[in-house]
Amino acid sequence: MAEIPPSLAQCAIVAAALKILLFPAYKSTDFEVHRNWLAITNSLPLWEWYYEKTSEWTLDYPPFFAYFEWILSQVAKLVDPAMLRVYNLEYDSWQTIYFQRFSVIATELLLVYALQMFVDSSHGANKRAAQAAAISVLLSPGLLIIDHIHFQYNGCMYGMLIASLVLARKRSTLLWSGLLFAALLCMKHIYLYLAPAYFVFLLRAYCLSPKSIFRIQFLNCVKLGAGIAAIFAAAFGPFALKGQIPQILSRLFPFSRGLCHAYWAPNIWAMYSFVDRVLIALAPRIGLPVRADALQSATRGLVGDTSFAVLPDVTPRVCFALTLLFQAIPLLKLFIQPTWDNFIGALTLCGYASFLFGWHVHEKAVLLVIIPFSLIAIKDRRYLGAFRPLAVASHVSLFPLLFTPAEFPIKTVYTVFWLILFLVAFDRLAPASSRPRFFLFDRFSTLYITVSIPLIAYCSLVHGILFGKSYEFLPLMFTSSYSAIGVVGSWVGFMVVHFTS
Amino acid sequence: MAGPSPSPHKPRRKAKRSADPTSSFGNSGSVRPVETLVRAPAFPLAAFLWPARGTVSQWELLPLILMAAGLFRWAAGLWGYSGFERPPMFGDYEAQRHWMEVTTQLPISQWYFHDLEWWGLDYPPLTAYHSWLCGKIGSLIDPSWFALFSSRGSHDPALKVFMRATVIVSEYLIYVPAVVIFVRRYSRLSGLTNWSAAVALVAILMQPATILIDHVHFQYNTVMLGFVVASMSSMLAGRNLWAAVFFVAALGFKQMALYYAFSVFTYLLGNCIFPRVNIPRFVAIAAVTAASFAILLLPLVVGALYDVRRGIDSRPDIDGPRPPLPLFQGLAVYLDTEAFYYPVVEQLVQMVHRIFPFARGLFEDKVANFWCALNVVIKLKKYPAPLLQRGALLATLASILPPNLVLFLRPRKDLLPLAFAATAWGFFLFSYQVHEKSVLLPLMPMTLLLAGSHGLSKSTRAWVGFANILGCWTMFPLLQRVDLAMPYTVLTLLWAYLLGLPPTSLGVYLQETGNTWSHWATVFIHGSFYLAMAFWHVLALVLSPPPDKPDLWVVANVGVGAAGFSLCYLWCLWRLLNESEILPRSWFRRKEKAKVQ
Repeated sequence: MAEIPPSLAQCAIVAAALKILLFPAYKSTDFEVHRNWLAITNSLPLWEWYYEKTSEWTLDYPPFFAYFEWILSQVAKLVDPAMLRVYNLEYDSWQTIYFQRFSVIATELLLVYALQMFVDSSHGANKRAAQAAAISVLLSPGLLIIDHIHFQYNGCMYGMLIASLVLARKRSTLLWSGLLFAALLCMKHIYLYLAPAYFVFLLRAYCLSPKSIFRIQFLNCVKLGAGIAAIFAAAFGPFALKGQIPQILSRLFPFSRGLCHAYWAPNIWAMYSFVDRVLIALAPRIGLPVRADALQSATRGLVGDTSFAVLPDVTPRVCFALTLLFQAIPLLKLFIQPTWDNFIGALTLCGYASFLFGWHVHEKAVLLVIIPFSLIAIKDRRYLGAFRPLAVASHVSLFPLLFTPAEFPIKTVYTVFWLILFLVAFDRLAPASSRPRFFLFDRFSTLYITVSIPLIAYCSLVHGILFGKSYEFLPLMFTSSYSAIGVVGSWVGFMVVHFTS
Repeated sequence: MAGPSPSPHKPRRKAKRSADPTSSFGNSGSVRPVETLVRAPAFPLAAFLWPARGTVSQWELLPLILMAAGLFRWAAGLWGYSGFERPPMFGDYEAQRHWMEVTTQLPISQWYFHDLEWWGLDYPPLTAYHSWLCGKIGSLIDPSWFALFSSRGSHDPALKVFMRATVIVSEYLIYVPAVVIFVRRYSRLSGLTNWSAAVALVAILMQPATILIDHVHFQYNTVMLGFVVASMSSMLAGRNLWAAVFFVAALGFKQMALYYAFSVFTYLLGNCIFPRVNIPRFVAIAAVTAASFAILLLPLVVGALYDVRRGIDSRPDIDGPRPPLPLFQGLAVYLDTEAFYYPVVEQLVQMVHRIFPFARGLFEDKVANFWCALNVVIKLKKYPAPLLQRGALLATLASILPPNLVLFLRPRKDLLPLAFAATAWGFFLFSYQVHEKSVLLPLMPMTLLLAGSHGLSKSTRAWVGFANILGCWTMFPLLQRVDLAMPYTVLTLLWAYLLGLPPTSLGVYLQETGNTWSHWATVFIHGSFYLAMAFWHVLALVLSPPPDKPDLWVVANVGVGAAGFSLCYLWCLWRLLNESEILPRSWFRRKEKAKVQ
């Protein structure tokens, strides 16, 4: 089938030009984090990687990512050996910046390749829509903000995820899909959020017979089990031999952190905290008790134990239970009907559940929801209806990551560009649904999108003029509460769509 | 948006989709022969806009184009500017910032006199007013940015953001609307579809030389260029008076607009004479021009008089008797230095003196024009300055005479960009005191050709692309000096890629039909120049020049650049003669052959 212009490669080239121009842009401490990891993996023996703590940014990703850094460091050695010294903290020569920024662009090629696989795996009438979706992921403002300005390697890892999802489309490559996802888990453990969907889907579609759930396909089970075991052995084996697994686990899962991150990720707990804030003002009038010790702490924006002044406290156990509950609901449907579309839907809902109810969720984790969702967003107009508020909310919620004035035009103009382009394009591409629309969801989402304009204007401009440096938490609180409404709204909408289609 | 059938549309990046999904192919309404015949996009920029074919509404397309162009500009602005942390004098950035300081902190009568050694104001008054406005706004944000004396050489990062913002805002208020309107009018005049016009618009806005000089290196050329485009656009619309007003504004912003002055003059004059003599039109244009100049100078004149009344001296640093006028000293005989009008005369003479530095040499630094290239062969310094000045004047006149004669005899709208480009090339190559950044002036009208008839055809793209890439290449030494090689590389290659030009693609040189001599001549000429440019880059990267000739690479750059620009001049002139049909057909056959040899 002929290529539909513009091709993914063309988009990637033009996007790369913009990303290279962004080299001198603001970079967060994550830049130093990754430089430190380059230094650790390059200059220390394997068994010291997870113990090294010269820098406060210790290695807290699983071993495959450490191996990945080690490979990068082999190139870095040729560029500027000074960046590979563990004690060389905050080192950012222009060679280091060029190298690290460029490595993000280069490893993102995996995403381009995976998206091309996705387009090629769609046929006929869907191909056009698939290409639009693929380009929307490639040009995602989330990836631009997080990877190319803030600094991380998500592009590469979402490339692995999408490749794995595409492999799950065909029965013959199901095994490879599972193995690739296992490898991804060994690279960044945040993808554990999506693991339940994989587990159920592979169990039902690969390990059990398609005809009856009571007939187990033993050979498949052995292949999958052995493969996954081999991958985990490759990742953790060397460390297990030295008995370092508990140390790694303590690095990967730091449970001492609070419910909400310093800046509230737009989830249920952001709304909960917001209500708590409001109740502090109202409590004396309606006679609710206020805990004085909680007033000055956590929800004001410090990492640590979160305690609420009026509402009951939330424990990790509650978060965990809620997450599992809301993951289980779509998984049941997936188990009964293990189609690829259901798989992507369930995966997206798993991402939603853990993002919305998880403990100490990062705002960046919203990519876990929006990227899988993009793949099915234009299945029909009802999916698109649920996608639209998410597209707006998730990207607005990322804005506080970049707070320097020079990057303000980039993040806003790029996001508005992307939203106009793809929301209009998707609107034209999405076919009508065979089922009726439900209530006034479309109207609400249009209203919601409109509200974002005064909100961004207030948070980035008006607040500064009115209050200067004081009440700095206000814009952040408004942004995350606003975004939380959008994410929760789109979640509810998508749940309805998922279960009625 | 009904129907489960997938629409044939594929919108995406920079794509500006159509209003009606069913209309992308075989749209029967208006005339769109080009798109319906072409099955696949010929170059990447066309591919990006491909899903927007058949678009009815430009209002969906335009915001996306402007946002994309703005993003690249702002991102390029994150890089350094000229003179960043380079004491003692810093660079153009400091000059512009200093003018904001001078204009906001000092009375208007001192603007052209204040401490001329430190980036004294040497642009016409509109630049001064623009600096005043920017300075006032900036002082609201942080008064220390433009404090007198203490702010010199400031490298506050927040100030950089503000300064970058003033460039981009000025450009989006003047240049961008002017180009958008020009492209719309010119493409309609040439019978192009909206879609082709949109492609041309993106190509013009992404022109690398302008972005590199204004948004990276730092200047406000686009304001002046914008006024010139607005003037041309008014000519297209038949509004000659507005054309005069806009052109005076361009001149009032930057004297460099004089490169175009001849063409503006001959076109407007030709309009008053052909097809029949129209005296009232001539008088109106003359009156409006004079009035515009008067308005332009009014604040300066009134300010000078007002400052005298307030007892403010324009030159507080000088005690004793008034120094003589810097120019036109003969006037002093007729003037009474104590008369009320004398400060005004002094002010205006000083302004002219600052704007036209006759005392400087034939060329500044190394610039890819005729004189600098000739200097390699014959040392021009040994000749007396008046002789050189006269030589430059004659050569310039000789080079600009042919295109302007054509424009005068055939004052046709569709010839405007070609005539402007040829005239500006003439000025750039032969005139006095040329700066390498001046190459923006001939490039602007030449790039506008993309929106004309056959503007996106291979031969036009090849030549417009060649001129632009060569232009950027001649500015490389300037950019390299302030560590801007990376944005140079990215923006130039990106533009070359979008338009399918070398070094990213050879597509423009592969012709489907016909093997004319002129085609092969183009291939040969462009091929050798592109090879020379690539070879030069490799040389300059790998080898350092011999110690006794530290400027060797720059001189080589200048030589190649001057030769290439001369060809661009000839190409513009040849096309102008060809399209104006002023000469008998048979002449062209000969000329074409002559070009090959």
